Parts: sequence; C-alpha cells; structure tokens
Amino acid sequence: MKLEVAARLHRPGGFTLDASFRCEAQTVGIVGPSGSGKSTLLDAIAGIEPGSRVVVDGEDMSPRPLHRRNVGYVTQDALLFPHLDVRSNLLFSPRAGPLGDVPAALGIERLLDRMPRNLSGGERRRVALARAILSRPQLLLLDEPFAGLDEARRREAMSLLASLRERFRVPMILVSHVAEEIIGLAEWAVRLEAGQVVRAGPSASVLRAGETRIDNYLTGTVVGDRRVLVEGIELAAAIPRSASGEVRLACYAADILLARERPRAISARNCFEAVVRSLTDAEEMVIVEIESPRLRAVVTPQALDELALSPGSSVIVIAKATAFAHVGAA
Amino acid sequence: MNSVEISLTVGVVSTVLSLPLAIAMALYLERTRSRVRHAVQTLIMLPLVLPPVVTGYLLLKVFSPIGPLGRTLARLGAPVAFHWLGAVIAAAVVGFPLFVLMIALAIKAVDPRFERVSRSLGVSPWRTFWRVTLPLTWPGILAGAAVAFARGLGEFGATIILAGRIPGETQTIPLQIYAELDAPGGERRIVGLVLTACAFCLVCVALSRILDSWYRRRLELDR
Repeated sequence: MKLEVAARLHRPGGFTLDASFRCEAQTVGIVGPSGSGKSTLLDAIAGIEPGSRVVVDGEDMSPRPLHRRNVGYVTQDALLFPHLDVRSNLLFSPRAGPLGDVPAALGIERLLDRMPRNLSGGERRRVALARAILSRPQLLLLDEPFAGLDEARRREAMSLLASLRERFRVPMILVSHVAEEIIGLAEWAVRLEAGQVVRAGPSASVLRAGETRIDNYLTGTVVGDRRVLVEGIELAAAIPRSASGEVRLACYAADILLARERPRAISARNCFEAVVRSLTDAEEMVIVEIESPRLRAVVTPQALDELALSPGSSVIVIAKATAFAHVGAA
Repeated sequence: MNSVEISLTVGVVSTVLSLPLAIAMALYLERTRSRVRHAVQTLIMLPLVLPPVVTGYLLLKVFSPIGPLGRTLARLGAPVAFHWLGAVIAAAVVGFPLFVLMIALAIKAVDPRFERVSRSLGVSPWRTFWRVTLPLTWPGILAGAAVAFARGLGEFGATIILAGRIPGETQTIPLQIYAELDAPGGERRIVGLVLTACAFCLVCVALSRILDSWYRRRLELDR
C-alpha cells in the first residue's frame, strides 16, 4: 500500500495536530505517548475528522465521507452493536459477503448466535476484527487493539493479526502508545509527539533506547513432538504436546542470538544457518532481519562489528525452544 | 366524547405528532457541533419555564382565526383556535421540552462511536440512524413519550386560552375539574376524574421508569 497523509487540525483546548508522512508498506504503525494525537490522526485518516488529505494507492480519499471511504475501524472497546447477535454484527456491512472462513480464522465460529453482552473482552475484540475484515476494507485502522491485555493475550492477539494480514491481505494502520508492541507487525512507523511527527521510517528506526521487546510472529506446521516446521526450518518450540496442524508462534527479538560459527555443545535447541536480509539502526542498537524463517534479532553495534554482518551474509541463528511461545492455532 | 376520552385523544395525538420533531431536535442537540445549538436549545426549553397561560396566549396570537395562519388552517378544515386541535397543539408545545430532554438523554447514552463504526462499515448516516441509533434509543424514546403524554394530560393554562372549554370537544380532565369546582356539589363529582388522572399519570411514570431501566440494561450502562 502506498499511503500519503497530511493531517492538520485544531482541537478545542489548544491541541493541534500537524502530521504529514508518506510511505509504502503493508502495515504502518503510529506510536507515541498518550495525548500525542495518535487517535486523532487515525480519525483524520478515517474521515471522522474532516479536512485532512489522505491518498491510498494513488486514490485521494479526502473528499469521501466516512461511509464511502471503505476503511475498517477497530477500537480497543470493540463496539459491537449491543442489540445484534454476533452473526448480525458480522454481516452488518452492506459490503459483507458470506461469512466464509473468517469466523474460523478468528476462532469465533461457535459464538455466532450469542449476544455481545455474553462475550468476554477478548471474544468481543475478535468479533470486531472479523466484522471489519468482512466489510472488505481497503484499509484497516486499529486503535490500541492490544490495550488492557495481559502479556500472553497481547502476544496471542498480535500473532493473530500477523496471520490475518497474510491470509486476507488487508493493509493495516496500527496505533499504540507502546512502540515495541507494534514494531513486530509494522514494516513502517511514525512516532508522534505533541501532535507532530518526530520520526518516521522503517519501523525499527523509530524505536528508542531500551525498547527491545519486539516480537516475531511465525506460523508453522507441527511435525513432531514439540517441533514445528516454519519456512523450511524445523524449530524446537514450547508448544503443548496436544498441539497439531497449523500453529502460531511468537518470539522476542532479544531472545534470538546470532553467531559466526555453529557452537559445539549448547543447551539451546535451535541452531540453524540463515541469511541476513537487512540491518536497521535504532537508538543504541541494531535490528538484524534474517530470512527463512523471517525473524528479527536485536544486537548492539559492537556485536554487529564483531560479527561483521551485512545484508546477504550468512549467520548462525541460535534460540532456546522456550523462546518460541505457542500463541494459538493458525 | 367525555373529558377522559378527550384527554386521551389529545394526549395520544399530541405525543405522536411531536415525536418525529422531538427526535430530530434531540439528534440535532446531541449529535451536532453547530454554534446556534445553544440558542435552539434555549428556545425549545422556553415552554418549560413560561407560564402556560403566556404560552397559550402566544399560541393564540399565532393561530388566531383572524390571523393569516389561523384563517388558512380554518379554510383547510383544521382550525386550531377553539377546536380540539388547539388542545392538541397546546399539549404538544407544553410537553415538547420534556420530550426532547428525555430523548436527548437516551441519545446521549448511546456512544457516538457506534454510529461511527456503522459508517466505517459502509452504512450511510441515514441508514445508521435506522439501524443503530433508533434501535438503541427507542426504549428511551418511548419513556420520553410516556412523560410527554402525562404532561399533556395535565395541561391546563395554554389549553384554556387556545382551545377554550367546550364540553365534548376541548374540555379535557383538568378543564372539567376546574369547571366542576366552580359549581355547587362539584367536589363530589370530580372524585372519579381525580382518581383517573392520578392513575394515568402513575402508569405513565412507571412505564417510563421500566423502559428507562430496560434500555440501560440493553446498552449495558448498568453493568
């Protein structure tokens, strides 16, 4: 998706949003502290706040009102229509076709006849996401979709989003006040402060010192006892013995070690050769992206110098089996 | 028609007639950021604080049979002054502020983000009103209608000025009670009317409370 945004608006009370950026990415992150204008920027992109210029894939959306913009808008409160059951919520959009495999992909196929008041918070969010996906949006806007979730639930929700993005090919804009929360998903990010863009670029470049808990999200097939095949590499992972078929895994970038040579005797169960895809400078650290399987590792600039890594060079990837947490069925 | 039948007819017709306008006004007050909103709100609330007799007098000026509006309406077969339609208009105008207030409260309780989500799903603002706003607020609207109806039943000052006290046509329960109290032995004759008026109002208020708590549950406001 090619996205161009120029949002300028004033809010009563003196807050001014003046944020412009241009990017080409499938997933864009908007990060910044509370009150920095992230949600206002999302409202401007959605067309709730008028007067901003938004161009998606060369098409100027600015003159179109919200109901003609074709954007899916999901907030942390889910906002399911309380007078309709789950099925009617899912089919609410005039653009929604048959439910197809969307409910199954989100694990809500058994909830279709329930009323929203009888759903848990997590179930509501998944229904809201399914409802947005079923409306066939040109762009999916997610406002703090992981707020209020504990660590395990957050990783589960994020890996679910990662798999949905691949499966339904929906471009997304994600908003969060925790940068590292969305860096794992977004290829490109904007950091907002007091209504201004203070940094924009490849997602790792907007990270700050200390923000190292970036997650990797993988989807693979269980091929043996706690072994999962991911992009041709068989990984030892901390999955329940009962897991089978397609599974989703999450792994913190800081839990991935890189080496020049294969260690001889080591407790880590995963040790394989991969190719460096890219290097991105973040404050006081470097994000190393490797491929097959696609993973991000965080290293210090000193470690990078000693390893003499560059795009295209091969590297040994080391990770404990427990670094790959099971976050659900794919 | 006796005064009870007249009161019920006037109450029902005035409530039904003012319903669409009350919804539109409540929507305007709650869902727009227009600068003239406060001026409109003040104007709508005026009959709530004006002495009903003054409201009746002003209405009589507007609908006077010798004025252009009154004459035209009379020619169309719907004269307002000294006609049961006058009682309907008086009840509608005096009950209107309460009606709008109650509906505005019901709309205020609906998170406007529901309407935004609906529009983001490709549903037009008009369809959003029918598919989201109205289904979520209708118990609140009915609660408002019950209160407006009760207020209309008790209307006296504006009615007697605009519609007069014509037995069988504009003499509502309060007007008959007033007339009977002026006549010897009337106090005995009004017992039934007083009890009927109390019963109607009690049912309306109870209905309004039940509907209000039902729609709060529906919107999960009390969770």
